[in-house]
Amino acid sequence: MKLLRWKRALHNKTVWFSLIVILTFILISILTPFIAPHDPYEMSIGNSNLPPIWVQNKSPVGMQEFVLGTDQFGRDILSRLLYGTRTALFLALTAVPISALIGMLVGLITGYADRQVDAVIMFFTDIVNSLPNIMFLVILVLIFRGLLTPTWSHGLFTLVIGFAAVSWVSLARLIRISVLQLKSQLFVEAAVSIGVTPRRIITHHILPNILHLTLVWIINNIPVVILLEAVLGYIGIGVTRTVDGGEFTVVSWGGMFFSGRSALNHNPLMLIIPSLCIFLISMSFLLMGDFLNGITRQEQE
Amino acid sequence: MKTIFRFLLTKILRAVAILVGVTLIVFLLIHAIDGNPWENFSSEQRLMMGIVTNTSVIDMLNHHFGLDLPLWRQFTRYFIGDFNEDGNLFCGAICGNLGPSISQHGRSVQDVIFRAPSGLTFWESRFGYSIRLVLFSSLIVIGVGLPLGIWSATKPGSVLSRTISIGLTALTSIPNFVLGLLAIIVFASWLKILKVIPDWNDPINWIIPAIVLAAMPMANFARVTRASLINILNEDYIRTARGKGLAETRIMLIHQIPNMLAPIITFLGQTFMEMFTGLLIVENLYAFPGFGRGFWEAVLKLDYPMIMGLTLIYASGILLINILTEFLCELVDPRIRLSKQQGAP
Repeated sequence: MKLLRWKRALHNKTVWFSLIVILTFILISILTPFIAPHDPYEMSIGNSNLPPIWVQNKSPVGMQEFVLGTDQFGRDILSRLLYGTRTALFLALTAVPISALIGMLVGLITGYADRQVDAVIMFFTDIVNSLPNIMFLVILVLIFRGLLTPTWSHGLFTLVIGFAAVSWVSLARLIRISVLQLKSQLFVEAAVSIGVTPRRIITHHILPNILHLTLVWIINNIPVVILLEAVLGYIGIGVTRTVDGGEFTVVSWGGMFFSGRSALNHNPLMLIIPSLCIFLISMSFLLMGDFLNGITRQEQE
Repeated sequence: MKTIFRFLLTKILRAVAILVGVTLIVFLLIHAIDGNPWENFSSEQRLMMGIVTNTSVIDMLNHHFGLDLPLWRQFTRYFIGDFNEDGNLFCGAICGNLGPSISQHGRSVQDVIFRAPSGLTFWESRFGYSIRLVLFSSLIVIGVGLPLGIWSATKPGSVLSRTISIGLTALTSIPNFVLGLLAIIVFASWLKILKVIPDWNDPINWIIPAIVLAAMPMANFARVTRASLINILNEDYIRTARGKGLAETRIMLIHQIPNMLAPIITFLGQTFMEMFTGLLIVENLYAFPGFGRGFWEAVLKLDYPMIMGLTLIYASGILLINILTEFLCELVDPRIRLSKQQGAP
């Protein structure tokens, strides 16, 4: 019966669509060094602000060499996009599981512990919840930026830590409620009555029942991280940073938004391409999350 | 009546405690950021603003804004109050005095946010603009999302309903940042409809920002409406009503709509919160004169009182919305009230 439901996924067009999109992005991010035509950092001032290849009637003619054109420093947009995919997926695949882990732990503790512990932690999550999350993230990123030495990885690292510190709250609340419901159910009561230790109850009776919640939450939050990175990049505090005049840049979609902001009028493509990528990714993950949600709900019934 | 009063009282006490916690946490966090407000201006900006960079001036400025005090004294100065340079006592955030903004030449934060330029009404202040934008967007959310949701729930399986649901899914996955950027490119760069510096007194210019802000909540709202309506349609009492031979409109008005209200109100509360967060992005994209526009600048330039003030206003707005939604839910749905009195979780 269970297998049947998963088999039905193969007949679902939306699942196919989202799987293909996700797999394409993952493949691109793995194969980037082999398919990117240029070094994304390489500047060539002679070739700055080139239009994409299909623009042939205006004065800077698109060149065969730069398929999607170049930015104001003469860096190839296509290569930047491909390397940016890597950054985005790396961020998503590290930040979201970390925050899911924190959220799960806190949710389990608050749901299972006695009322005082629950009240204290819930008070704290209420505080975090009543701050605008993007602002909280920006402040955390700025703090970590002062603490860490500026190497290429620290922009990514700050974003991962910042996101993990901000977004666990929603998962913790979700899990707390479902643990509270599970706790009053018969199989947990039976386990308590035969003297099973709380640790074993959590790992063997409650954890399996909240794993699907966590999975759906992770899938729904992957596009959120990618979007947040883009927004921070647009504002100018993404994984880009200037140190003593020299620029430490990790190529990312946020960085593309930042450099595209000044090119809004003569080359809007620099903004449109990463926007469309974000749209595709968030749509496919959302459809996937919807589908998984439906399956797990059916399984519960 | 007495229970409702007690309910409200405990809620408000809790909200006040949370506000104190928010103030403390944000205060500690923004003071943990490396740097000070004077270094974060570039030298040209300093020249333009007439800030001289010698140490004595910086010392004087530090003293004026109270930045030379120890951290705990700065917090009490902000939160409760302190003596100013003339030796007079002034009251802090608990009296609604949010302190002088550093980047606004010492104009107080509540002035910057709530007071309009002279001769104009409250609605022309930064806060007024934002509130008007949010109200406009929520009109779109309710006015378009509710009918779409109801319509696609009552006629399931039809081609139109399926197209609507696909469109809604696409809309829910466009973040307002991306949609706003694309709208700028399409309407400003290509079609030249949107001006670079529009006249915000003309309501036509409000349409694009309002739609950008409303798109995702609208789609979510329609989906939630549809889901809760479909749930209700399968309930026994609707079948009974049909079996009695009631007219469809009567079933809709008396049996369906009241039972839909509680989840919808909860969802609307969340939508409001999302829109207030969205303001921080959308107002910056469109240079809209609301209270979210100066926010990023305040954070990047470490304008401490401004950040604190905006956060406090935001947090109190969220807490107010939370209390209101919970209260309204209890009002419209007696089942929730009952389950609380019986002590169920």
